[in-house]
Amino acid sequence: MRTKAISLVSTAALVLSVAACGGGEDSDSVTVTMWGGQAQEAHVKSYFTPWAKEADVSIRQDSPTDYAKLDAQVKSGKVSWGLAEVEPNYAKSACDAGKLEKLPERVVEAAQKAEIDPAQMNDCAIPILQYTFSIAYNTDKFGDKHPTNWAEFFDTKAFPGKRGFWKYVTGGIFEAALLADGVAPDELYPLDLDRAFRKLDSIKDDIVWYDTGDQQIQLVASGEAPLVQAWNGRVTQAAKAGEPVANEYGQNLISYDQIVIPKGYKNAELAQDWMVWFLENPQAQADDVTASGYGPASPQAVELVPADVQPDVAGGAEVNEQSAALMNYDYWAENYDEVTKRFNTWIAK
Amino acid sequence: MSLAQTTGRGGAGRRSARPSRLRAYFTVDGWGLLILPLVVFLAVIFVVPLGMLIAKSFTDPTLGLDNYREIFAESLYLKILTNTFVIALSVTAVTLLLAYPYAYLMTIATPVWRTVLLLLVLVPFWTSVLVRSFALVLLLRDTGVLNTIAQDVGLISEPFPIMRTMKGVIFGMVQVALPFAVLPIYATMRNIDTRLTKAAQGLGDRPSGAFWRVFVPLSMPGVAAGLLLTFIQALGYYITPAMLGGPKNTMIGELIVQQVSTVLQFGFAAALAVLLLSTTFVLLAIASRFMNLERMLMGRS
Amino acid sequence: MTRVLTRAGLILLAALIGAYILLPILIILPMSVSDSAFLTFPPKGFTWQWFEELKLDPTWLEAATASLRVAALSAILSVVLGTLAALALVRGRFPFRGPVLMVLLAPLIVPYVIVGLAVYIAFLEVGLTETTLGFVLVHTCLGVPYVMINVCAGLVAVDRRLEMASMNLGAGPVSTFFRITLPAILPNMLAGALFAFITSWDEVVVAIFMSGPTLTTLPVKMWAGIRVQIDPTLAAISSLALLVIVGCFLIIGLGRLVQRLLARRNLSSDSTGA
Repeated sequence: MRTKAISLVSTAALVLSVAACGGGEDSDSVTVTMWGGQAQEAHVKSYFTPWAKEADVSIRQDSPTDYAKLDAQVKSGKVSWGLAEVEPNYAKSACDAGKLEKLPERVVEAAQKAEIDPAQMNDCAIPILQYTFSIAYNTDKFGDKHPTNWAEFFDTKAFPGKRGFWKYVTGGIFEAALLADGVAPDELYPLDLDRAFRKLDSIKDDIVWYDTGDQQIQLVASGEAPLVQAWNGRVTQAAKAGEPVANEYGQNLISYDQIVIPKGYKNAELAQDWMVWFLENPQAQADDVTASGYGPASPQAVELVPADVQPDVAGGAEVNEQSAALMNYDYWAENYDEVTKRFNTWIAK
Repeated sequence: MSLAQTTGRGGAGRRSARPSRLRAYFTVDGWGLLILPLVVFLAVIFVVPLGMLIAKSFTDPTLGLDNYREIFAESLYLKILTNTFVIALSVTAVTLLLAYPYAYLMTIATPVWRTVLLLLVLVPFWTSVLVRSFALVLLLRDTGVLNTIAQDVGLISEPFPIMRTMKGVIFGMVQVALPFAVLPIYATMRNIDTRLTKAAQGLGDRPSGAFWRVFVPLSMPGVAAGLLLTFIQALGYYITPAMLGGPKNTMIGELIVQQVSTVLQFGFAAALAVLLLSTTFVLLAIASRFMNLERMLMGRS
Repeated sequence: MTRVLTRAGLILLAALIGAYILLPILIILPMSVSDSAFLTFPPKGFTWQWFEELKLDPTWLEAATASLRVAALSAILSVVLGTLAALALVRGRFPFRGPVLMVLLAPLIVPYVIVGLAVYIAFLEVGLTETTLGFVLVHTCLGVPYVMINVCAGLVAVDRRLEMASMNLGAGPVSTFFRITLPAILPNMLAGALFAFITSWDEVVVAIFMSGPTLTTLPVKMWAGIRVQIDPTLAAISSLALLVIVGCFLIIGLGRLVQRLLARRNLSSDSTGA
């Protein structure tokens, strides 16, 4: 059923792309660019295809998002990406640099009506999905007792085994280290980097770094690193597929992706129409939760999600209650380059 | 790649005493003209766009040599650069050691076995490097196939760490590089007239002597090609080392990707690329002094 | 005696190398029919699901066709340009050899992400992104050094006395080239063409820049998912590619065998048959 729909969409895309020969943009099409893979298939199916049908617009797809490519398009004035899924720190810097279309009043209003957390918005971007950086553990290794907060996650004596972290500065590493070191959640930002690196140094030999979403599951499931700071949606899906993994939401860090319109996109108004439609349609977001495993942008969508899924929904009451903080991407927009440099040096030592 | 040749041009005006040499340098013959299509093609498609980006290393974010100064101010970048060359050299050495006897066996094998050997080396070539690297991870990690089997048979009691070590990186990269060495060596060996080795034997040389004195030198152009391809290619790898290596095995390719795609420091990334390019050329120039790569490969020094 | 030992040692070495090369394949094939959506080994159950998904989603086939077209065209262009350049390098005289050689080798050394960004910026201006032509042009840059280096190695080994003999017998330079030189360097040209083909076929970094809704190559489509997850569909694609290649080799091999058998029969039945 699912594959049938996908093949329909892709056939449509094929026909349209042939029709739009030469890469030119039709007046009534929007090009959506996301990270790709099955997640993109799910997103397109739940909240682009229904809109396209309603608005009689065609959707063209590209993947993956690449900031250098987006930059080049905006600089040359030949923008082919209409709606792009990006990380919030990029959205903030790019918006400030004038590389993105500002949100019109009607989108901002729709976001207010959808009760979107204003902290997840900026002048150019709305959130498209939420997830958490939480503790993923191997249920074979830690059946009875597993770490329930970052302090325990960093305690290699009580919980022996390697720890997995994302080799990416905005992957929640420093936030987790500071929480583990006793920093109060509301005093996390601006990050005390010296303190965070000191804490990380204490378990450096036990850290295993991963680069992709798949590696984190491989690490936990195989027991190579029975504890991993992971994205909750991936872990939930792996657990459902029968892998010996589970999420612990204690002190989870909530994160989100945003969607933006590159500056100079010809059909920007159409793309903004979609933003309004998306915000006004919690049902589409709820459908996507079941399909992709990511949490919805709007809290109104959470109630529409099947009850058995709700405890694992980022943005849902249960996950939110245990959450320590929302990732502060304004901080990261400002400090990303510096921290990356320092992180590169530290990790190679 | 001789530097003397390039600088010789600069001395042209002063040294009119030796016009014949100068004229010889600027001589173009019919064969020489054949270089033109490729040079023009690369100039338009490759050099000009690249030059525009590399110019950014002097202008972005500030005008001047700041990007280069930054590279030399931080020991990290030079460490990664050294690391890159050490890994590439190790990979080249291991690859050639494996590829030479393999290619030789191909030349003396029966046609059927030759095809089998060729298939063996070519087939994995067609599967994506990415998927192959993933498979190697499943194979090599502490809880992976090899370690599990070795533990089950009682060969080892603790998992033998291969992943996230230099060994893992080399294991994975040689896999990828092997066909690039085997094919040119085999293609050259095939052309060697076996009558020459036979003749050497007929003149009283022992078979091994004929092999080392006649066959090996004649196969050197292929070895030079394989060496050049493996080494240069290995410099640019980053998927395999990123997946099989640890944080201490970072190669410069990965760093440059990070600078372009996530940090968006195009100028700095371009500076790193210039550094890689120039270091490689300097190393190649030194290497061709000692091994005369150019003569092995192009029949001239 | 030593000769037998040497041979045995060589064969053992080849077997070990063969096993080493095949290892990942032995993992990929079973994974492509594993019923877990996560890459695990050994697989827990059996399913054709991942091949079905490939079959049902035409974009995979489309991407594969695009990749094949781009790879084939850039291999051809690489062989032409690369062989000409190799002839000039080995046989010819021309000024600025050093700098020219640097330019010819540079595409191998400059990291692909730099090439990708630089060429993307230029191609945006002239509308070559997302086109087969654009892909072929940039992939030829990446593939041509392989042809050049391989053919150089072949040309050096060509026995020039054979060419002289041919010329002495009255053949012109062109016909000498096609009758003597070209057959001698053909294996090297083929090796170079193969490298150029594979370089394009498996190239993802530059291709990510050049791709778009109108034209996406297979590696880009595979790579796109990987930031988030890698599912057995990718193993299925690799297995399919393997089967196709092995199939092609088998058909070519069988064809040759039949040809040889036929030729032998012709020879025995008709002594004048050429």
